[in-house]
Amino acid sequence: MSLQAARALTGAYLVLATFFVTWPGLVPFARIEPFILGLPFSMVWIAGWIAGCVPVLYALDRVERLHREGDEEGPPGLGQAPAPPDGEAD
Amino acid sequence: MEQWVVVSIIIAAYLALTLTIGLLAGRKQSDSVTGYVAADRSFGLLVMYFVTGASVFSAFAFLGGPGWAYSRGAAAFYILAYGALGMAPFYWVGPRAAALGRKHGYVTQAQLVVGRFPSRGLSASLALLSLVAFVPYITLQMRGAGIVIEEVTDGNVPLWLGSLLAYGIVVVYVLRSGAMAVGWTNTFQGVFMVVIAWALGLYLPFRLYGGIRPMFEQIAAARPELLVPPGLTATGDPWSWGAYSTFILVSIIGLMMWPHLFMKAFTAKDDDTMRRTVILFPTFQLFLIPVFLIGFSGVLFAGEPQAPDYILPFMILETGLPAIVVGLFCAGALSASMSTGDALLHASASVVVEDGVNHFVELTDNQQRTLMRVLVFLTGAVAYYFALDPDSSLVLLLASAYGIISQFAPPVIASMYWRRATTSGVVAGLLAGTATALFFYLNPEQKPYDMHEGILGLIVHIPMLIAVSLSTPAQSDEHLEGFFS
Repeated sequence: MSLQAARALTGAYLVLATFFVTWPGLVPFARIEPFILGLPFSMVWIAGWIAGCVPVLYALDRVERLHREGDEEGPPGLGQAPAPPDGEAD
Repeated sequence: MEQWVVVSIIIAAYLALTLTIGLLAGRKQSDSVTGYVAADRSFGLLVMYFVTGASVFSAFAFLGGPGWAYSRGAAAFYILAYGALGMAPFYWVGPRAAALGRKHGYVTQAQLVVGRFPSRGLSASLALLSLVAFVPYITLQMRGAGIVIEEVTDGNVPLWLGSLLAYGIVVVYVLRSGAMAVGWTNTFQGVFMVVIAWALGLYLPFRLYGGIRPMFEQIAAARPELLVPPGLTATGDPWSWGAYSTFILVSIIGLMMWPHLFMKAFTAKDDDTMRRTVILFPTFQLFLIPVFLIGFSGVLFAGEPQAPDYILPFMILETGLPAIVVGLFCAGALSASMSTGDALLHASASVVVEDGVNHFVELTDNQQRTLMRVLVFLTGAVAYYFALDPDSSLVLLLASAYGIISQFAPPVIASMYWRRATTSGVVAGLLAGTATALFFYLNPEQKPYDMHEGILGLIVHIPMLIAVSLSTPAQSDEHLEGFFS
């Protein structure tokens, strides 16, 4: 996956998560039932979006790492984020 | 032996262990400002993970979290929602700030902003605003520690003595060892907190209701309004969606702008360490689930604590747990309080010297370190004074601290990512945003849709920053090249 795509997907997940844990995204899910693992639904809903950050960020890191290894000469850290130089896509 | 004596012995042992770790940690650190403020940029993954986690989870989460769940129900879920989302952008922002820090020798976030937008006034304003946001935050940590100790020792160790003891120890190891002590004690305290929270959060529902689901079914039958977001206000009325949502938004934006958290970018050993900390951080966040369970377990329990924030020690004492468990819990709550308090004390002194005093007076490296130590002591003393004199406006100030801190986001982001931003634009934005937030803080009835004053401040701040920047001459290419490349 290209660096831009990985970053865009991660950004989209974070925006969606913010939408679904606040008004108005949370409104349809602000309810008690069904219970999941004994917990009220809205609590699991919010916790789920938070837990989802781990695999999403992990996947992003895998892609970022691949691109960093292919670009060893560049200065570390600087120039890598968030606007990648043109022609990075594979 | 009486229960409170056993409890006191455990607390004393815990405090002694924290002090030992704190003092030992500083032995290898270099005798320089970078050593004291940024631990020679040496923190590995384990330490970074717990430093970050433990400094975010304060007495507010450990005592206030159950207190909110108990009295305001689902309103508490906002605390669960913001942390991971506020932290995630740091995957990119952190390493970029770290690279600039290594290049220019920055150890605070105001240095970064002022490196890009040279202005002594801007630097001093950021230092002053940080301090204004820090003092009530530290005060609350101290009160939290005092409340816990007073409660579980049946008042034999009063609040003034408990706070003094816990924070006397914090001041000693922060004075002696700086960032290194904060790192290693937080690792120890972070592990402690997580274990205690999960153990209690699972134990109480099973002990009192026969399980987690039976507990929530009973609450759903008796008080269903507690389990549906946005929950209730402190007075028991339904909370507004506007307030619930903007509390989350302002916390997402403000979280990493807290100087004691942002400065972690300068203490990390390398960028990968920082990135992995960000990836793993949501796992720390989920530790709020057992914390909420503790609060919910009190809802249908006979008897009432003197205030919602006392629900945790109240439940522990009322359910007749053995003294050793009470003592361990108490140490966990102290961990939460002290691990945030030490980071706050350390950061406030570093920020005042680096960003305030340094711009107006020439100081040698040695004098700076001495001054920082004096300030750790003074800030601690001021916060302690407020902790003893409970003034309800302090709680209000804390709620508003995020209103101040979130105003740091536009200058910090502009300094690293927007080349067209100018010093005038940043100063104008900061003034307008802070003034707006202050106005709505003082006139809460004027807030549109009950929105948090920090968000209202940003609504004015960001357009102001952009408009003034675009209408003033761009920074010279020479300056931009020197800063970025």
